[in-house]
Amino acid sequence: MSTKATTKTTYQLPIGPIHPALKEPVMFEFEMDGERIIEADVKLGHVHRAIEWTGMRRNSIQIIYLAERICGICSFVHPFAFCRAVESACDIEVPERAHYLRTIHGELERICSHMLWAGVAAHEIGFDSVLFLTWEMREKVLDLTEYLTGNRVTKGIMTLGGIRRDITPDQIPKIKETLNYLKDNFEKLRHVYLDDKTFKMRSQGVGILTKEDALKLCAVGPTTRASGIKKDVRVDQPYAAYGDIDMKHMTPDLLTGEVNGDVYDRIIVRLLEVKQSIEIMEEALDKMPSGDIVSEPKIPKLLAHIKKTVGEGVGRDEAPRGEVIHYVKFDGENENPYTWKVRASTYNNILAWIPMLKGEQIADIPIVAASTDPCMSCTNRVTIIDKNKKYILDKEQLHRLSVQKTRRLMR
Amino acid sequence: MAKGLPKSFKKALWVYHCNSGSCNGCDIEIVAALCPRYDVERFGIKLVGTPRHADVMLITGPVTRQLKEKVKRVYDQMPDPKAVICVGNCGNTGDVFYESYNLVGPVDNVIPVDVYVVGCPPRPEAIIDAVAKAWVKLETLEAKK
Amino acid sequence: MSKENLDPKGLVKYFKDEFKTKIKKAEITVKPSGSNKREMTHIWMKIDKSIFKPFIKHLCEYQFPHMAVVSGNDYPKEIELVYHFSLDFGKERKEISLNVAVDVPKSKPEIETICDYIPGALITEREKQEMLGVKIIGIPDSRRLFLPDDFPEGVYPWRKNEKGMEKLIRNLHEVKK
Repeated sequence: MSTKATTKTTYQLPIGPIHPALKEPVMFEFEMDGERIIEADVKLGHVHRAIEWTGMRRNSIQIIYLAERICGICSFVHPFAFCRAVESACDIEVPERAHYLRTIHGELERICSHMLWAGVAAHEIGFDSVLFLTWEMREKVLDLTEYLTGNRVTKGIMTLGGIRRDITPDQIPKIKETLNYLKDNFEKLRHVYLDDKTFKMRSQGVGILTKEDALKLCAVGPTTRASGIKKDVRVDQPYAAYGDIDMKHMTPDLLTGEVNGDVYDRIIVRLLEVKQSIEIMEEALDKMPSGDIVSEPKIPKLLAHIKKTVGEGVGRDEAPRGEVIHYVKFDGENENPYTWKVRASTYNNILAWIPMLKGEQIADIPIVAASTDPCMSCTNRVTIIDKNKKYILDKEQLHRLSVQKTRRLMR
Repeated sequence: MAKGLPKSFKKALWVYHCNSGSCNGCDIEIVAALCPRYDVERFGIKLVGTPRHADVMLITGPVTRQLKEKVKRVYDQMPDPKAVICVGNCGNTGDVFYESYNLVGPVDNVIPVDVYVVGCPPRPEAIIDAVAKAWVKLETLEAKK
Repeated sequence: MSKENLDPKGLVKYFKDEFKTKIKKAEITVKPSGSNKREMTHIWMKIDKSIFKPFIKHLCEYQFPHMAVVSGNDYPKEIELVYHFSLDFGKERKEISLNVAVDVPKSKPEIETICDYIPGALITEREKQEMLGVKIIGIPDSRRLFLPDDFPEGVYPWRKNEKGMEKLIRNLHEVKK
């Protein structure tokens, strides 16, 4: 029997499928050495509802409502990208006023989504009162959404060739009031997230994604902009009214002058984008021309036109989380599309989790996973198998580990 | 309001949230119910992280094939007396996903449901109303014993 | 990036010079894309399966592309895979979208992987393997992605006239009397 000390073996840590800080139930498997992560593996598929298969059995107008329910937070961008793909394949034109209205609604949704994310990130670090502060501000923006479209979350205002509801002149004062409220409180938000010592300690140097990794793994959205790569569909290939508005890529060196690719940089990019969205909305409201809002209001005529088309089209746009792309192909015999392919933005960012999580501690898993903004926190149990002992850590304990680390750093 | 409801809740309900494949719209409205606008915490209703502490389970989403066993396991881990609230149209009858190869029926094919909340997604007020109805049901069940 | 940034016509010529007749179709479409009659440029190409891997290598030598997704069309005798790339991101308003289609015969549905050049293509290639039944040669990780593990083998949901799914399709809102 050898008297040399046996090397510590690593153990496997499965987390999921219903899990802290995630868009969909996703299963992780980590290989751990003590508290550090050595390898990470991701398993998907728990929210597979067969949407593309269903979409090939319905006509284009019904698919708009199906596409809205792919994700509840990005519920404007999926119908938007689908309509762009069909309009490009079938040559349906869109009036000028509709372009500006689509821009305004898209930016409104971006503000709601980034504020939701800011609250979730604060909750993962352990500051529940910041969660309540941010979501209270978000409620005002949701009030505006309900005033303009009728519902808070799934809006249902997109249609082929335009948009379904107009913004009348008597609605404009309320929009300006909400935007002024956001501008006044933006400084408070910035001060809480960027100047606080504890936020900095928890987020600087954690979850780093290097520039080469972000380029090779084709990451999208604020995750890749925080690593210094400039990818933004609104600026590179402008659609709707973005071509008339002067905007540039938001990277962290606009505020701090350097790019690290860690969680702190992602917070900076998202806060800068909220500010940019407010400015875009104001400019679009001022420049909006008058006119029709939809080019073909009679739906049977539209469907008859689509039935005769042979062609394919691609629609891309920029969701709050990154690029969304839809591909559609028509064969000239049915109203249903021959093929419909959807790629939501989080799928490209999932591979980016693996280099970000290697070398981190367990207590940092929630904030790193949440920093790529994968939609929502759900919860589950975590089983740690350590040699022969087996003990269960649930979400409360995982969250408590994360909060305890904050308290340790604060001392 | 229901008859026989005393002036304040006798027992504060602890709530566990389970996502069985939904689009997250309903999940956001559940968390929005905790925020200062609707403030469900003043009734003592708290979101807990484990089913073993919970009285009521809020379940969203049409149940996918991969999550069917896990939902059943979570239900079995809740201690009696318990209630299940199905939030959103997906779990009630399938909503837009009425025909699919990877979905295993509405939620009441998998676990018994007590309260159904309609909407896509339902407003936070409707969710709070549903929790109150589940409370009344639990109290009547206990009174019968 | 070794070359100057070419415009769409120059890009098509760059590929045609190298591969000549193996490129079956190369078309540049300009479609309206926004207010003030702004336009977007898409290049649609169809290439032969034998030059697929050298084509991708040639593309990466010009500039590392952003790989969006791989979509697939199912025809009676073959499967057409369409790879969506985009180039020249980062410079304002100059992005070009490149869509490359490759035909794979159903009698031998195989194609090489591009994960050694573009690691970010792993997830979308795994999806094609399970949904359309195209075998990707050399893929580093060939497990199932979205379908559950007990889904029957050999059944591919995106193929038209797929017979093996009759037992699996459920109608959620039907009421059993």
